[in-house]
Amino acid sequence: MGLRADLATIRALMRRALNEILRVPGAAIPGVLAPAIFFLGLSAVFGNLTLLPGFTSESYQSFLIPVSLMQGAGFTGAATGVNLARDIEQGWFDRMLASPAPRPVLLAGLVLSASFRALVPAAFLLVIGFSLGVHWPGAGGLAIALLITMGMAIVAAAWGTTLALKFKSQSASPLMQAGMLVLILTTTAYAPLALLTGWLQEVARYNPVTQVVEAARQGFVGPVTWAETWPGLLALAGLTTLLVALALRGMARTAD
Amino acid sequence: MNTLRVIGALGLRSIKQTFRRPQLLAPILIFPTLLLAIQVGGAGRAVDLPQFPEVNGFLDFMIAGAMIQATLLAGNSGGIALALDIEMGFTDRLLAAPISRFAIVLGRLAGTAALGALTAIWFLVIALIFGAHIEGGVAGAFLIVLLVTCSAVAFGGIGAAIALRSGSASVVQGLFPLVFVILFLSTAFFPENLLLEPARSVAEWNPLSFIVDGVRDLVISTFSAAQFFEGVAALALMGLFGVGLSAAAMRGRLRRG
Amino acid sequence: MPAIETRDLQRVFSGGITAVAGVDLQIPEREIYAFLGPNGAGKTTMVRMLTTLLRPTGGSARVAGLDVVEEAGEVRRAIGVALQEAALDPLMTGRELIVLQATLHALPRGEGERRAERLLDRVGLSSAADRRVGTYSGGMRRRLDLASALVHEPQILFLDEPTTGLDPVSRKSIWEEVSKLNREGTTVFLTTQYLEEADKLADRVGIIDDGRLVAEGTPDALKAEIGRPHLEVVLSDGRMDRAEEIMSRFGKPLPAKDGAALVELERGAAGVAPVVRALDEAGLVVESLDLVQPTLDDVFVAKTGYHLEGSEGPEAEVDQAVEGDS
Repeated sequence: MGLRADLATIRALMRRALNEILRVPGAAIPGVLAPAIFFLGLSAVFGNLTLLPGFTSESYQSFLIPVSLMQGAGFTGAATGVNLARDIEQGWFDRMLASPAPRPVLLAGLVLSASFRALVPAAFLLVIGFSLGVHWPGAGGLAIALLITMGMAIVAAAWGTTLALKFKSQSASPLMQAGMLVLILTTTAYAPLALLTGWLQEVARYNPVTQVVEAARQGFVGPVTWAETWPGLLALAGLTTLLVALALRGMARTAD
Repeated sequence: MNTLRVIGALGLRSIKQTFRRPQLLAPILIFPTLLLAIQVGGAGRAVDLPQFPEVNGFLDFMIAGAMIQATLLAGNSGGIALALDIEMGFTDRLLAAPISRFAIVLGRLAGTAALGALTAIWFLVIALIFGAHIEGGVAGAFLIVLLVTCSAVAFGGIGAAIALRSGSASVVQGLFPLVFVILFLSTAFFPENLLLEPARSVAEWNPLSFIVDGVRDLVISTFSAAQFFEGVAALALMGLFGVGLSAAAMRGRLRRG
Repeated sequence: MPAIETRDLQRVFSGGITAVAGVDLQIPEREIYAFLGPNGAGKTTMVRMLTTLLRPTGGSARVAGLDVVEEAGEVRRAIGVALQEAALDPLMTGRELIVLQATLHALPRGEGERRAERLLDRVGLSSAADRRVGTYSGGMRRRLDLASALVHEPQILFLDEPTTGLDPVSRKSIWEEVSKLNREGTTVFLTTQYLEEADKLADRVGIIDDGRLVAEGTPDALKAEIGRPHLEVVLSDGRMDRAEEIMSRFGKPLPAKDGAALVELERGAAGVAPVVRALDEAGLVVESLDLVQPTLDDVFVAKTGYHLEGSEGPEAEVDQAVEGDS
């Protein structure tokens, strides 16, 4: 089909995905508010955990904000899955599948839109965070955090897409949301690794998303270093590859 | 008396509805359980803080919050089910029948109560499996089930009121995030003296705090009449609020036709 | 090279449901072919297989000379598709939708916009082009769906129940458009549950029942195969037995109906005049005379044993709309 045509298709699909926010008043609000509510709530409830010896930050909000950014990315990606499930239920997706656009191009259009949409709750969250005293991560730290947010949104969108293609129904949406939430929270979300207890410490130790969270967190709680960054980027790349592969397989199977 | 039979029949229907659709049941039980597991693992070291109350373990502290969270979700879910009934026209059929108006709501609440009891039992079993102690003993466990069941009914009443007022399932659904806001602004997840503002001030008078503390007290210490009755009072308050709201909403609905 | 060709095409769904049980088709280019059958007969499954949305579980199919499984991508380039749901995004405008379709078919932006303009005009949606599809009526949506299926000027057009649920006027306008497209050279494969649609539009009709092709041919050939037209005569003075006696000289008598004498005419319409003359010579006064042609419904009943639903009502309305007052 040609690269130019593929890029045009991706652009067009991304543009369509934006309609959901731009043309439906209030549709964006839940996705934007939820991470902020959790950020404010969790930091008010568990804020005093910083009193524990060994806690790596004086400000719980600075510690928590990267997790909330990830949550925002997770919700956005799940929403992509829900929208696809709806498109499948209503027959719109058949239109895409019957066209000559290659399946990977269709998938790219879906998941890339999520990465940009995730910047909306992220911006909202950061504005609230900074106004409450979250530590400024520096331009580099901020850039890394946002890049990771976008990457996580792609992972979440690929997950949502896989589920949508498998179940072909919007009733799978709780699974889309919950899956991402569990992935993000079974990390050093609430406390540094040394202060986690029981099963969670073990899981967080091996959960690749822990690396992702730590990489996004570094500017907010300390200096930004390459050593802290590359494990997170690697983990993100691995997750992306895995979930995109699953989604592509799902796409190939739509005709079965 | 026919009203009781009607309530029983509607109650049975709403119970069957709840348990026949596992995808609706699962979020009510699974989600708070997951969150419980994660929060115990993530914030468990809090018991080392000097200001933390005497407990056997962090799980003992958290169980009550998980139960109440589940009953809030159950109330929300019952409200959604009622709103769907209204949207579908089923409620109109009931209203046209010679049955008491309240039987309709009470029938729905019977389902929510059953869910509440299940929730209490579920978390008690989890508590025991994972090493928590119910300091209140068997009697305490029984009171816990009672309190939690009543909470489910109270929250269900509020959910039903919203359903009757709005007649729309998506409105009730939209209140889902509110559940978490109320929980964060209470002592559901952390002791009051360790909360930060503004959560601390709000939690001080939030009726949910009293309810959670009432249940929690039965887990982490031997029976304290003050805590228990404060919890009951807060429940009664919310229950009355829910009933009042439901009655007004029902009247409004009937007037609008 | 046939436009569409299938050999023993089959589709069995998990659970053992056989939707299509071995269908052979040979549809030449520039033909309008209608697949006629009730709901659940397998029409939609056939269309989905031919448009590469569903993989056959047996047999083979070639569209525009390309295998639907092995060369699916190229098949998609050659075909236009308007499916049963008229699935359109309510948040987009008509124009945006056609332009999106153009992009999916790798048309450059300018070209896509030009064609959108032309197609919207062609289907009568120019004034609604920049309104959101959510505000369109059912008829408008079908027309938009048709227009977007044409944006890349496909050789073969697949229409799955294109007029189901439409009012008679909208139905007529879709028929006119499809005929016009066919005259311009497009092969059309359509599925329908409306006899009238198959009868009026199609060059050939395939009757599908329970996943099998039970009859195939031009509408006239199918009807002729089933039976000949019959004449229904009502006399003003009721001497029916006399009428029957005379009429039986001209063809096989059929059971009387509602006070009318019936006779099957060997030579079709050409046999009417002799009968009338004979009745006249016998001094019998004819009050009413009806030449009744077999319908596709008769064909359907003969082949399947039951009537096709929807063969009355909407068809009668459509008749009036199309025929005017004849």
